[in-house]
Amino acid sequence: MFRKHLLLFCGSLLLVMTVSAQDRYFTKTGRIEFVSKAPLEDIEAQNKTVTAVLDTKTGALQFSVQMKSFEFEKALMQQHFNENYVESDKYPKAEFRGVVTNNASVNYSKNGSYPVTVKGKLSLHNVTKDVEVPGTVKVDDGKIEAVSTFTILLSDYKIAIPSPVKNKIANNIKIVVDTKLDPLKG
Amino acid sequence: MKRKIILIVVAVILVAGAIAAYLYFKPTPDIVQGSPDVSVNAGELIAAFESDTAAARRLYLDKVVAVTGPVKSIDTSGSVVLGEDGSLSVVSIGLDRRYLDDHQKVKVGKVATLQGICSGYTTSGGGDPDDLLASLGTTVQLRSAGVKNK
Repeated sequence: MFRKHLLLFCGSLLLVMTVSAQDRYFTKTGRIEFVSKAPLEDIEAQNKTVTAVLDTKTGALQFSVQMKSFEFEKALMQQHFNENYVESDKYPKAEFRGVVTNNASVNYSKNGSYPVTVKGKLSLHNVTKDVEVPGTVKVDDGKIEAVSTFTILLSDYKIAIPSPVKNKIANNIKIVVDTKLDPLKG
Repeated sequence: MKRKIILIVVAVILVAGAIAAYLYFKPTPDIVQGSPDVSVNAGELIAAFESDTAAARRLYLDKVVAVTGPVKSIDTSGSVVLGEDGSLSVVSIGLDRRYLDDHQKVKVGKVATLQGICSGYTTSGGGDPDDLLASLGTTVQLRSAGVKNK
């Protein structure tokens, strides 16, 4: 009798866990690019292994970005980025934790493109700032793509640009986020 | 005499300029062609970071690593994930711009070897209930990678 109850309990627990897990979508190969346009030169880098997770029920959204995974074309730029600007040995990860503020207006079970606003905390270079950015959630046959383009200021995150190149590197950096999310199977 | 000095100064400036330009324009190196610092199976690499993070950092982080494992997923825009079916813990690999098409050389479910720089890791767990990422298993990242032909 007890065993039967235990089995039933475990079964329903498993069911609950599966249901809640199905609300979550994730990727470990999200893309984040940044572009810095300055009079002398443009700087571009891509990170193709960003981890992201979205809870479609609550709208909670989280990103984890390894700073050393950004790839540049020029070796010297990559070195300066890691050693002098973001100090990736000391601060290896950037993280975003937030929520889709208008999550209720996204119908995750109906194909379409939904404009969203994402609000939360962005941690980078040991500085955490409140950010609010626009984005788009695209639903396509059970797959979700979340994209966003926004700008951050290097000075907000205490990323100092040495004076010899101060005019060469822009303070505002364009960030392009593109993540294709798959259902997280419990 | 004076002419000679001017010539030498000009030559020095030219050489210095050439070196500076060379350093400035030097592309990021090709990681895929050379031999790796260390070769490892995807499962072993993940387990190494889970069991002894400090030792795994010393052994793999910032090193040229050749990782072999079953392909779990492919993103045609330039990434490959190695890992066992049914496990959320994976090695996530970003392809170098010179090897972006290498995703065509691998197949989901088939074993492949990719070589790149180990650029980071996240181990699962942690006690934070609000941390959605904690439920995603361990991730080890490689960048600037390509498929190693056998």
